[in-house]
Amino acid sequence: MTGSDGPPTTPTAPPTRMVVDARGSWCPGPLMELVRVIKEEPVGTEFELLSSDEGSRKDIPIWLNKAGHQLVELRPDSGFDRFIVRKTHE
Amino acid sequence: MAKRVVILGGGIGGTTVANRIRKALEGEVATGQVQLALIDREGIHAYQPGYLMVVFDKMRPEEVRREEARLLHRSIQLIKGEVEKIDSPANKILLKGGTEVAYDILVVASGSVIHPELIPGFIEGAHSFYDLENAQKLRTALHGFTGGKIVVSVAGMPYKCPVAPLEVTFLLDDYLRTQGIRDKTEIHYTYPIPKVFGIDTVAQPMQRLMSERGIQIHVPFNVDKIDPAGKTIKGVEGDVLPYDLLIAIPPHRGADFVGASGLGDKGNWIPTDRYLLRAEGKQNIFVLGDATNIPISKAGSTADYEAETVTQNVAALARGEAPTSRYEGRVYCWILTGLAQATYIKFDYLHPPHPPTPSFAHYWNKVIYNRTYWDLTARALF
Repeated sequence: MTGSDGPPTTPTAPPTRMVVDARGSWCPGPLMELVRVIKEEPVGTEFELLSSDEGSRKDIPIWLNKAGHQLVELRPDSGFDRFIVRKTHE
Repeated sequence: MAKRVVILGGGIGGTTVANRIRKALEGEVATGQVQLALIDREGIHAYQPGYLMVVFDKMRPEEVRREEARLLHRSIQLIKGEVEKIDSPANKILLKGGTEVAYDILVVASGSVIHPELIPGFIEGAHSFYDLENAQKLRTALHGFTGGKIVVSVAGMPYKCPVAPLEVTFLLDDYLRTQGIRDKTEIHYTYPIPKVFGIDTVAQPMQRLMSERGIQIHVPFNVDKIDPAGKTIKGVEGDVLPYDLLIAIPPHRGADFVGASGLGDKGNWIPTDRYLLRAEGKQNIFVLGDATNIPISKAGSTADYEAETVTQNVAALARGEAPTSRYEGRVYCWILTGLAQATYIKFDYLHPPHPPTPSFAHYWNKVIYNRTYWDLTARALF
């Protein structure tokens, strides 16, 4: 929503979200899956990465920080973690 | 009218699943109720894990190739031809040249295809070992190598046999020691993520081995381009590594016909139910091996274990029953850590791998498997 005194805006479409179910992906691993799909999809795409690898909680934020993409949310679930990631540049 | 089961691809997955389906439906095949056919482009079967062995003179080139017709049971029809497209609504396959092959049940085992041209400078500047011709070229290059900088780099994802970059690095280290030139050589290993392998249980012991052997690690390193004239490899992170010999893993994609058939994702991998191994949205198409989009190893072992499930599900469908066999993500791969030592990883969807200490015994098991592969897996005799 915009304020009543702000300029009119055109509603923008929500970002495309792709689910990447990498649970049980021990080889090559969830982060490798994320790196792969980020290369393939356009800027602005959101990825919902599911990982059962405990190391992902450390690795994925480190890699995203170095690569310059955004970790929108990290949400623990039952037996796995759900990472919401946004691709911010080519 | 006979039910027709057609398998696409004469690699590890296609060959073993064809022979296993024949056994599972032995009575139906013998009485003509079920017909089996396998389509392969060349009619030559390659044992691809052997390519790395060829590089280090552990196997001869002729030991990693056999005629497909000699591996398939005589009741399986071998059709040599290149697939143009699958017309899944019409249940038929169109081959280049115009031949049509009808099916009632289809198994896609078309594997992956290397695409070195996707990385600028790769073809001119890098060695690889993902086909027999390039493995032999790399072997020749190593024989002439007298010292300098060797870079091992993963240049695209996904790629076949995720542990292969580790293996070639350890084998190189050992080989150079036997040649007496290890002290004249730097070995550099790059990987796209901030560690040497995808998960900690494997990455940590492998990184320890690399440190013990003086192998220099550059992570994360995602290959941007290769400069063959200047002999450098550049990462998108900005690092530039000079090399005298570059061994790189090329990007892989699924088969072109998968995309042309509207069955694949952007990489031409087929979205596949990870348990039933059935193509999503298709009741009579099963997929195994590299061709799936399942996020586990693209490796011969994966195809071998998946073949058990596909066989049971194809047999059930051929008999008019519901396919209920489930693949639980089992994989077993050796990791060569030297010219005469190895460890292994064994895992499924619920249990991560814990590689044991490398030993000669594990290496010897790998050697035995290399020799027995043709009967044990391809012909599915046991």
